[in-house]
Amino acid sequence: MIEIAPLAIGATDLATGTAPHTGAVNGLSVSLSPAEPRVRLSLRAKDVGVLSAALGRALPERIGTQLDGIARLGPDEWHALLPEGSPVPAVSGQPLSVVDVTARSVGFTVEGPGAVAALIRGCPLDLANFAPGRATRTVFETVEIQLWAMAPDRFHVEVWRSFAPWLWHSIADGIV
Amino acid sequence: MILIHCPYCEEDRPEVEFTYGGEAHIARPLDPSALTDSEWEGYLYIRSNTRGLHAERWRHAHGCARFFNAVRDTVSDRFEVTYKTGEARPAKITQTGGAA
Amino acid sequence: MSGYRLSSGGRVDRSRALSFSFDGAGYQGFAGDTLASALVASGVTLFGRSFKYHRPRGLLATGVEEPNALVSVDRGPARVTPNVRAPQVSLHEGLVAESQNRWPSLKFDVVSINDRFSALFPAGFYNKTFMWPRSAWEKLYEPVIRRLAGLGDSPVTRDPDHYDATYAHCEVLVVGGGIAGIEAALEAAKMGSRVILIDEQDELGGAALADPALWSTLDALTAQLFAADNITVLTRTTAFGYYHQNFVGASQQLTDHLAPSEAQGPREKLWRIRAGEVVLAQGAIERPLVFNGNDVPGVMLASAGRTLALRYGVAVGRAVVIMAAHDSGWRDALALIEAGVHVAAIVDIRTVVPADLADAARAAGIALHLGSAITAVAGRHAVKGVTVAAGGTGPAHKIACDAVLMAGGWTPSVHLWSQAKGSLVWNEAWGTYLPGKPQEKCRVVGAGAGAWHFGSGAITSVLPNSLPVSRQKAFVDFQNDVKARDIQLAVQEGFRSIEHIKRYTTNGMATDQGKTSNLNALQIASGVLGRPVTEIGLTTFRPPYTPQTFGALMGHHKDALFQPVRKSVIDDWATAQGAVFENVANWRRARYFPKGGEDMDAAVARECRAVRQSVGIFDASTLGKIEVVGPDAAEFLNRMYTNPWKALQPGRCRYGLLLREDGFITDDGVSARMADDRFHLTTTTGGAPRVLGMMEDYLQTEWSDLDVWLTSTTEQWAVIALQGPRARDVIASLVGGIDLSPEAFPHMAVREGTIAGVPTRLFRVSFTGELGFEINVPASEGRKVWEAIFDAGQPYGITPYGTETMHVLRAEKGFIIVGQDTDGTMTPGDMGLDWAVGKKKPDFVGKRSLARPEMTRKGRKQFIGLLTEDPQELLEEGAQVVTNPDAPIPVPMIGHVTSSYHSATLGRTIALAVIADGRARIGETIFVPMADKVIRAKVTAPMFYDPEGSRLND
Repeated sequence: MIEIAPLAIGATDLATGTAPHTGAVNGLSVSLSPAEPRVRLSLRAKDVGVLSAALGRALPERIGTQLDGIARLGPDEWHALLPEGSPVPAVSGQPLSVVDVTARSVGFTVEGPGAVAALIRGCPLDLANFAPGRATRTVFETVEIQLWAMAPDRFHVEVWRSFAPWLWHSIADGIV
Repeated sequence: MILIHCPYCEEDRPEVEFTYGGEAHIARPLDPSALTDSEWEGYLYIRSNTRGLHAERWRHAHGCARFFNAVRDTVSDRFEVTYKTGEARPAKITQTGGAA
Repeated sequence: MSGYRLSSGGRVDRSRALSFSFDGAGYQGFAGDTLASALVASGVTLFGRSFKYHRPRGLLATGVEEPNALVSVDRGPARVTPNVRAPQVSLHEGLVAESQNRWPSLKFDVVSINDRFSALFPAGFYNKTFMWPRSAWEKLYEPVIRRLAGLGDSPVTRDPDHYDATYAHCEVLVVGGGIAGIEAALEAAKMGSRVILIDEQDELGGAALADPALWSTLDALTAQLFAADNITVLTRTTAFGYYHQNFVGASQQLTDHLAPSEAQGPREKLWRIRAGEVVLAQGAIERPLVFNGNDVPGVMLASAGRTLALRYGVAVGRAVVIMAAHDSGWRDALALIEAGVHVAAIVDIRTVVPADLADAARAAGIALHLGSAITAVAGRHAVKGVTVAAGGTGPAHKIACDAVLMAGGWTPSVHLWSQAKGSLVWNEAWGTYLPGKPQEKCRVVGAGAGAWHFGSGAITSVLPNSLPVSRQKAFVDFQNDVKARDIQLAVQEGFRSIEHIKRYTTNGMATDQGKTSNLNALQIASGVLGRPVTEIGLTTFRPPYTPQTFGALMGHHKDALFQPVRKSVIDDWATAQGAVFENVANWRRARYFPKGGEDMDAAVARECRAVRQSVGIFDASTLGKIEVVGPDAAEFLNRMYTNPWKALQPGRCRYGLLLREDGFITDDGVSARMADDRFHLTTTTGGAPRVLGMMEDYLQTEWSDLDVWLTSTTEQWAVIALQGPRARDVIASLVGGIDLSPEAFPHMAVREGTIAGVPTRLFRVSFTGELGFEINVPASEGRKVWEAIFDAGQPYGITPYGTETMHVLRAEKGFIIVGQDTDGTMTPGDMGLDWAVGKKKPDFVGKRSLARPEMTRKGRKQFIGLLTEDPQELLEEGAQVVTNPDAPIPVPMIGHVTSSYHSATLGRTIALAVIADGRARIGETIFVPMADKVIRAKVTAPMFYDPEGSRLND
C-alpha cells in the first residue's frame, strides 16, 4: 500500500534557509540567499499623479517595470521594497491606498550565471529576456511570486510568508 | 499551455498566470429589484455556450491581477483578441465570421 | 563471428565488454549496444509473449516503434520499470532485464494455450463474451483477464528516485537529431536564434547511424553543433506532447543508461519548451508486411536488420530472406552482404524492380523471387524457413533461413505533427499520409516530410496466399495481437470508421499507438470496404508519443515538495507542544494539544473547560484578511455584504455575511472599521482567495467608479485569539496605549496600541461566547507576542487549544461555520441569520435572488440544534434525519446533521443540523437511522449555552 498523506505532511518539516545555498544549475554557478529585510508597501491609485504626489517621489510608468525600489505591478498597483526603517506614509482621505505589508512576504536573492536556469525550473516566463529593470508578479510552479530583475544574473524573489519554505527548497533542490 | 496576451501588461504571458471568468459583456443590472424573476434568471444563469468565437472574461490573476475580455474560439482554443474591461467587443470579430 | 556478432563494423566499442542478465541468464555485450542488439548478438530470438494469445515474439524493430520486445528493467527494489522497449535500453554493466507477460517462463508459457484456441478470440471477443451477468465482470472476468492479458507489473513500493523539471524557451526547437534535424538546427543557429535540438537516442544521427557512408558527414555536423553556443542539445530526450502555441513537453533520461551504482542526481527531467518555431525531423518508420507467419521470432523489419548489422555489428541470422515490397529492402540486402551477413534470397511482391538493384543482387549471389510472396514461416520460437509461392498462390517451394526481413515501405512519423493539428495529405503513390498545412509555426524536414531517398515500392495490404485470410496468422498490430482477419471481421460486422475499427479490434492502442500498424490496418479496411483509404478516416494522434513515467510528469513535485503546506508563525511552537495537526485548505492547523496520553476527546474536553472557566489561547492566523482602503470603502462593503456598513463607526466591528449573486451564503467574518476610509476584513480560512477574487471582480468590472482598493493582508498579521473570562487579566500587563475596561473597550470594538512592545490591532471579538480578544500583530512578531501572552497567562492556567475545541465552543453557541453547516444552497433565512440582512438596503450582492419564490417557500431546510435522547449518543456528521424511520423505503429524508460534538461544558453531546421547516419543529422528536440502530433526538434552537450572551459582554 502506498501511503499518500505523509508525503504532503513531509512538507511541514521544511524551513526557509537562513544562510546562502550555493551550487550550480546546468553547470552554471548560482546562489540562493535570504534577502535583507525591507519595508513593503502595497500602493494603489487610479491616478499615478495623486500617488506620486502623496509619496513625494516618482513612480515607474510601465507595467512590469521598477524604479528606485517601486515596481508597477498593474494599472493601479505599485509595490514598494524600501530600506528597513523607511516610514509608512500616513495618508488618508485621498483616492489612494497605502497598506503596510512588510511582514506579509519574505525575499530571496537568486544570483549568479545560473540564476535564470535556477528560476525557469519553475517559472514559465522567458527570463533570458527579462532585463534588469523589469519586475512582475508571476508564479513558480503553483506558488505566486514577485520577480524583480535587479542586475544581469541577479533576481529578487518575493513570496508570501507561508509559501517561503516550500519555495526556498524547490529552488534549492535544483542547485547542486 | 497557451500564451495569452494581457491587454494591460501588453505582452503574451503563460496561461498558468490566468484564471477564467466566464462569458463577457453580461453587466450586472443597475437596479436588480426592477427585474422580473425570469429576467434575473437570465442575468444569473443563462449563457450563450458558444461553439466558435466566444467573448469571455479572464483575469491575469498572477500578473497584473486585472480582469479583461477576450474573444476565443472554443473549438480551436485560439485567442483572436484580448481587450480591456469596459471596452466594447471589437467590431471586426463577429460570432460567425471570424476576424474580418 | 562469435555468436551473431560480426567480426567488425558497427559503432560498438569491442574493447569494453559489459555483462548483463535477461530472465536470469547471463550475457555479454559491448558498450554502445542496446539490450536488443546485445541479445540478438547472443543468439536470443525470443523477447516476449504477445498481449492476447501469448504467442512467442521476437524483436521487430530497433527503434521507438518496437511493439514486441517490451521488458522490465530492474534497477533494484522499487526501481523496476515495466514496458521498456529493448532496443531503447542502453546497455550498461550489470543491467538486469526480464521478459513480461509469461508464466512460468518465456519459453514455456501456460497461457499460450490462448493461441491454440485463437479462433475463439476474434475481434470484439471480450465485448461479446463477458457481457453477462453484469456482476461477474467486476468479480470474475476482469481480474482473470487482467492476469492473463498483462503488460508489465507496476512497482508496488514508493519510487525512491528524484525527478527534475524546467521550462525552456527558444526561437527554434528541432525534434529529431538525424542529419536533417542537425542541419535545421545549424541553419537556425546561424541566424542567432536560441536553438534546442532533442533526440531520443543516446547518440545523434538517427538513420545515419546505420549508414557508415554518412558517418564522416555526421561527425562534421555534430562538431559544428557542439561548437555553437546558442544550441542546446538534449539526447535521450523524447518529445512526447506537442501542445498549443509551440509548447512541447519532453522527458530526458538522465541516469537509466548508467549502472545503478553510477547513477547520481535526478533520474529524469521534464522539459516544458516554448518555441518560436518547431522543426520536426523525426524521420520515417518502416512498415511491416502482413503475411501468414509474420510474427514468428526472427521476422523483423529490414531497417532493423540493417541497423543491427551496420550500427551494432550484429547479424540477424546466418541465412536471411528479405520479403520486400519496396526498393529499400534491396538496398538493405546489399548493405547486409557488404557487412558480412548472408542473404539467402530476396522475395518481392513486385514483378518488376529497378534493374540496378536486381543486377546488384544477382551479382551478390542472392536468389531472387519476383512476383512472389512468403506464404508460411516455419518455426515457433525462431524462424527455421519460409515457404514462397509465385503470386502467393502458385507453386510453393521452401527456403531454409533463420531470419526474415520485411520491407513494406515507409510511414513518415507524423505523430507530433498531428498532435499539433497539422493537416495530413494522402499520398497514393507511397500509400501514406504526409504532412500538409501546419496549424502552428511548424515545419517538417527530412524523411518525415516524405523527402527520402529510399526508392519506391508497391502498396500492399495482405500478401496473397492460397489460405483464406481467416486461417492465416497474419498480424497487423503485433502488440495488440490484431490479425488481418480481425480487421476484416470488424468491417463485416458493420464497423466503417477506422476510429470504431480501432476500438473494436484494439488495433493501434496501448504503448504502441499504431506506429507500425496504422497504415496496414487502413489498407486492409479499405480493401474490404472497397472504399479509398481517405474515406475511412485516420485515428487521432494524442500525447504521449511514447509512455512516460509518472515521475517525469511530476518533476520536482515529490515528497516534501509535493505541494506547499502553509504554516503559521506559531506552527513551530505548536509542534514543540506536541500538537496534533489537521489540514484546512492549504494550511495545516493545530487540531488539539494532547497531554499525557490523552486522546482527542479528552484533550478537547480539557481545552473547552479551560476556555469556559479561565482562558485559552488559539492561533487564528490563517483567517483570511483583506485591507479595504479608499474614500468609497464603506460604500463598497455596503454593496458586497448583506448588512449595512456605512454607519459603522471607526473603532467598531461588525459581523459580515457574504452571499453569491444567487443568494446563497459563501463566506462570513468579523470586520472592523479602522478609519473612515479603511477597513480590516476577515474571511474564513479556506475562503480567503475566493472572497478576494470575488470582490476584485465586482470592483474591477461592475463598480470601477468606486475609489477603493483591496489588499490581501492574510499573511501580514499573526492572529492570536485569547478567549475566556480571564482573557483581559492576561493581557492587561502587556498592552500599551489601550484602555481595556469594558466601558472603554466593549465587545465588537477594535483598538490600536501595543502588546509586548509590538504594534497591534486589538479586536474584542469572540467565536466562543466568552470574553475574548483577537490580537493582530505583524507576522514577523507573532511568535514573540504569542510566547509573551502564554507566559503572562501562566497564573491563570492558560491553555492552548486547537481547531477541534474551537469548533465545539462555537457549536455550543450555534455560530455557523460556512462550508460545514452550509453547503452552497443555504440562504441567510435558512441559517437564522435574517438579523444580518439589511432590510432597508436597496441592493447588495445576492439581494435580488433572496426575493425569488424558491428562497422563501415553506419547506426549506433551516438551521436548528439537535439533542439526542441519550445524552452520550454522538450523531454522525452527514447523517440523514427522518420523521418516520418505519416509513417504506425510500424513507423521506428531511435534512442532515452538519456538526456534532461531545460538549464538556454541558456534559452531553450536541449537534447542529439543517432540516425542512426546522424552526417550526423545535420541540419535536426526529429520528436519525443508522446501520445498526435508530437514534432519537429532540429539535432545539441552535444555541446550547449562554443564550443571553451575558458572558460576551463581561
